[in-house]
Amino acid sequence: MELANPSSIQTLVVQGKIKKSYLSKYQYTISLINEGLRTRILDIQEVYDIQSQLILILKNLIRRYTQGESSSVSFETAEGILASMMYALDAYLLQLDDPEKAIFYLKSYHIQEIYDKGIEVVRQCFEETKELYREIRVHPLDVAVEAYNMTIEESLPIFLKKYNILFDAHNTMASIDYPLAIDDMRIQGVFYIKQYLERLKMEMEFCRLFKIQDLQETLINFGRICGFDYRIELFNIFELVLNNAIFSVLSGGDASDLKISVNQYNQLASLFTLLDESQIRFAIYTAKDRLQVDLNISNPNMINYMTQCTDELVQRVIHAAKYNSLNSVIITKKEDKPKSMMVLFKEADGMSDYHFRILVEAITECHQTEDKIQLIKSNIHSVQDFVDMLNSNCLFSEEYRVLFETLGEIELAILAKMVFYEELRNGPMDFSLIVTEKEPDIEWQLHYVELIKGLSKDRIASIEEYIYDIDYEEIKFY
Amino acid sequence: MFLPRILESIDTSISEKYLNELLEMNQITKEHGLVLTPEEVKNMMIVRSQALCSYGRVELDIAMTKELVAVFCTSSYINNDNFATILNELHEIFYYLKNETEDQIGDYKLIHMMKDYFDYDCGGSLELLKSKIEGFIEDFRKGVGLKESLFERDEF
Repeated sequence: MELANPSSIQTLVVQGKIKKSYLSKYQYTISLINEGLRTRILDIQEVYDIQSQLILILKNLIRRYTQGESSSVSFETAEGILASMMYALDAYLLQLDDPEKAIFYLKSYHIQEIYDKGIEVVRQCFEETKELYREIRVHPLDVAVEAYNMTIEESLPIFLKKYNILFDAHNTMASIDYPLAIDDMRIQGVFYIKQYLERLKMEMEFCRLFKIQDLQETLINFGRICGFDYRIELFNIFELVLNNAIFSVLSGGDASDLKISVNQYNQLASLFTLLDESQIRFAIYTAKDRLQVDLNISNPNMINYMTQCTDELVQRVIHAAKYNSLNSVIITKKEDKPKSMMVLFKEADGMSDYHFRILVEAITECHQTEDKIQLIKSNIHSVQDFVDMLNSNCLFSEEYRVLFETLGEIELAILAKMVFYEELRNGPMDFSLIVTEKEPDIEWQLHYVELIKGLSKDRIASIEEYIYDIDYEEIKFY
Repeated sequence: MFLPRILESIDTSISEKYLNELLEMNQITKEHGLVLTPEEVKNMMIVRSQALCSYGRVELDIAMTKELVAVFCTSSYINNDNFATILNELHEIFYYLKNETEDQIGDYKLIHMMKDYFDYDCGGSLELLKSKIEGFIEDFRKGVGLKESLFERDEF
């Protein structure tokens, strides 16, 4: 396709003024046609011609879709193919980055030509997306955040494998759990995934400016402060790292340091309580600028991204200072609790899937409860296997109680951290009260709760103590 | 629904062409003593459009209708009096079957299967054909007997 003649475009501009605010980048071609009609750059006959050409392309696509096997398709299928077709047209016209030129193209060229160019743009974007993914896949951050790892290892490959440029280009078809610090979910298809990967890559590059041990420690402290298992929660790592780096600078620490000591926290808390909103904003932005200089950040995209996130941080700090909850925003270093206990479950002793299945079959076939308990005790040594066994329905009502009675307080506390996960994430609570109110759906949990209810007050208090002593990252059951 | 309407708009402009194409089919059907009148063809196109709409489908051409005419005109249970009526009913059955089998079976195979049922299992009864089709759909859903009944050569 030749470039549009500038004088022809000039004529269009004279005819009417295209208002960019009337255009939608999410339905670009349609909004261009509407705007073309409104400004009388396009007349009704031209719009009808464009529509007719679009329908012919759609018909050809449907034929290709059915591979000549069928002359009809469901509305849903046809609408999906139509959306995919419009996605390709939008891709090309948006790339021109000039609405006047785009309308001129719609007016002057065969729509099929524009569509073919659009398919090429989408294909090119898909190739770039695959390359971006390869780069990210080679050096992921060494963190135990499940959503982050699953998104990179499983969700994105599924998208790359299933993406269909011709018939389903607009479909994002990936269940991406890991949230970005800033995301635009109105974008669809491969353009969304490309944007996601670009931002993820940028976030990862930023995180790599810090020691991985410091990052891992910050995540653990974050989990401890929030009272949940950070490994299974949905949160953005970059945001956490950026915020703590800003706090470090603000409290006299190094820009590359993520650790915030109790003293630094107290200093920050006094500072934010004294300052008014505009001063807080100024202080945080100054620290952010220092961070950029000290960490040699010159990529304008990264700087812009950091600025947007800093905006969010300012609001959070203002709010937290007002409601005295700065401890949930500033991730301070939590000292490791002294561990006098020996946790009986060890992840390293986990069984293979094959041996686990054999064991479950053997337990199910046992007629005597004592034999079942004996089999479990002598074969299962990891929390993961123990919980999997409980979920495998190889025990029956009374047998759960007998099994739980053989467990020590530490083991019962570990199970409590799983059964009462939601209740405990809100911070320390009266364990006896949680137990009384809990009504689990899962059978083993039901028996577990019943057993706990029947224990003496002293034993419950002892289990409660262990619950708050054991950190989630010590229990490897996911 | 926006999409069927825009596709139909093109169909309307070429409905004359469709009418002629179907009337030309009389060259084949008259060998079996069957002829469709222009009125019957027009009516058939209306029935087809209504069936497509009620089953939520869009169709690109009339290849399926032509195939129905060509295949069913050889049935010994069809005569000139019931030809148009049966074809109208067959359109309904076909689109229903197409939906229920989730577009996984091609037009040609479905039409020939319907013809076999109509001639050999149902003795030319449309009511029996509908009931037979229900059984087929049930089997299809279960994934049982699909290959034996239709695709001995595994032609998905």
